[in-house]
Amino acid sequence: MTTQDMRTEYKGKVLAVKNLPTLPKVLEEVTALMEDPNTSIEQIAKVITFDQVLSAKVLKMVNSPVYGFPGRISSIQHALVLLGFNVIRGLIISTSVFDEMNKAMVGLWEHSVGCALASGEIAKVLGLKDPEEYAVAGLLHDLGKVVSAVQLPEIKPELEAMVRDGDISFLAAEKKLLGFGHDRVNAWLAAHWNLPPAISEAISYHHKPLSARNYTKYACVVHMGNFLTRVFEYGNGGDDNVPVMQPHAMKLLGLNQRMLENVLDRLSDAFMDISDLKLT
Amino acid sequence: MLTANRDKEPIRAFLISGDGAFVRNVISLWDGSVIQWTVFSKAGPAVDQLFTDPPELLVSDAVLPDMSGEALVALVKGENVYRQIPVLLCLPRETLFAPRDWSAMEADDFVLLPFEPEEFRARVELTLNRMSRSLDANPLTRLPGNTTIIQFIREHIERRRDFALGYADLDNFKAFNDKYGFARGDEALMMTARIIVNTVRRFPGPPSFVGHVGGDDFVFALPLHCVEEACRQLVSSFDAIVPSLYDEKDRECGCILSTDRQGRPQSFPLMGISIAVVCNRNGSLTHYGQVSAIAMQLKKKAKEDPGSVYVIDQRAQ
Repeated sequence: MTTQDMRTEYKGKVLAVKNLPTLPKVLEEVTALMEDPNTSIEQIAKVITFDQVLSAKVLKMVNSPVYGFPGRISSIQHALVLLGFNVIRGLIISTSVFDEMNKAMVGLWEHSVGCALASGEIAKVLGLKDPEEYAVAGLLHDLGKVVSAVQLPEIKPELEAMVRDGDISFLAAEKKLLGFGHDRVNAWLAAHWNLPPAISEAISYHHKPLSARNYTKYACVVHMGNFLTRVFEYGNGGDDNVPVMQPHAMKLLGLNQRMLENVLDRLSDAFMDISDLKLT
Repeated sequence: MLTANRDKEPIRAFLISGDGAFVRNVISLWDGSVIQWTVFSKAGPAVDQLFTDPPELLVSDAVLPDMSGEALVALVKGENVYRQIPVLLCLPRETLFAPRDWSAMEADDFVLLPFEPEEFRARVELTLNRMSRSLDANPLTRLPGNTTIIQFIREHIERRRDFALGYADLDNFKAFNDKYGFARGDEALMMTARIIVNTVRRFPGPPSFVGHVGGDDFVFALPLHCVEEACRQLVSSFDAIVPSLYDEKDRECGCILSTDRQGRPQSFPLMGISIAVVCNRNGSLTHYGQVSAIAMQLKKKAKEDPGSVYVIDQRAQ
């Protein structure tokens, strides 16, 4: 098989994704909340936001052509209002839980939540509108890693070995082995699931944010969020490297030293708070 | 059940068949107070009466002396004014095994001959219900339309049930539609429908109902005690989600530039939702016309305020 054929085959396998693993604790919590008639949408949205897979599913569903407004919704709370409890209940039933996968993904889950918090804080400090959307983008930025791991389980040990022995980044190992990285997988999934363009660009370009054409700010915020989460060594993105931070991203956002310190202060508090929330 | 949601009047049905035994069998399946059959042995006279006084159900044999049952069905279904008549075609069993294009058959259902009485009865009842469900539904949102809405209101008034009925429509929808085109306009209507359905559904207990009058007009019903909270949630969800429908530039400036009815350029704010709520308390409403009259008065009041707003009918409290 040629490299191109391999790539096409891998892409097909990745996009064949049906069942994604999710954290059982989150499922339990959402189910319990929904049984209580006094629960608000906000409460449920808050819990779902802690799970990147469930969040992706919710956004995928609400942005599907079935609902008639594809590519418009990037807020979990809005998605829940539009989907309604019936659909969410169905979604939760359909979400299969792979215990083994969860164990392997724990570090990544924390890294994703960390990046969500960091991206949200950066958006707030910069006074950007809808900081929650930036948080969602941060939450989903490594979704491609989860999906590849689920769809191409045979690849995973080899990837890990390459990262460990070659001392290269997870992204570099993916590219070497598969011919594409999780950023590309993100772009495929975003298109496949009709995710809104801001989320799509943010998660597809979080490693090279200045290449994002229309939502450069989103990509830059997630880029910075990813960097800060790694600096804090919060969670695990698959390797021990801190990704290269593009100084241009900071410049483009107008993020100065004082603001960055402000973000770091808020983040260290936030990370302390959620360390109690560990769901494993 | 056939009789569940109907008035006492029997269903007016046509039966077209030259087979006397078959006709007797069919007629014996229902009591005359449920279905009233008019029997024709040929298609010609049936068509004549069909066009002037269409029945509520048409059952036809596939084999008729003057034309095929299928051609008859195609004739009826080809005209939009008769399309809604539920049609059941009775086919000889061997038809099933001959090659044919089922997608070209315009009947709503079929029964194989000789028939099982239970199956025949079930098919007729299913066909009737399926037609009434699908016909009144709004083609965009699939919510029930005017027939169902009016029936719901009438029934509740007649049974002197307390209920609150909300009439919702969108402000500045026309400007949105004009600027972005009807496909995006449809997106706005779908979104509104979803918000109303899910908000209303979250309040337990009857009567909860959502209908789509047409265009940007929606109707919903709720118990009196929770209607205000529902309106509050509706308005807040709508206002939170509606900016997602606009292009980024317009969202940021909070308005769109378009032309008014005279063709002059004008700026229009983002869409809002206006809700007028009519209450039936201790039988305060006596007929359907009152409901829409009160709603229209309240609507005027609601429209005086810019942005999303709800007005609840306070009389008879």
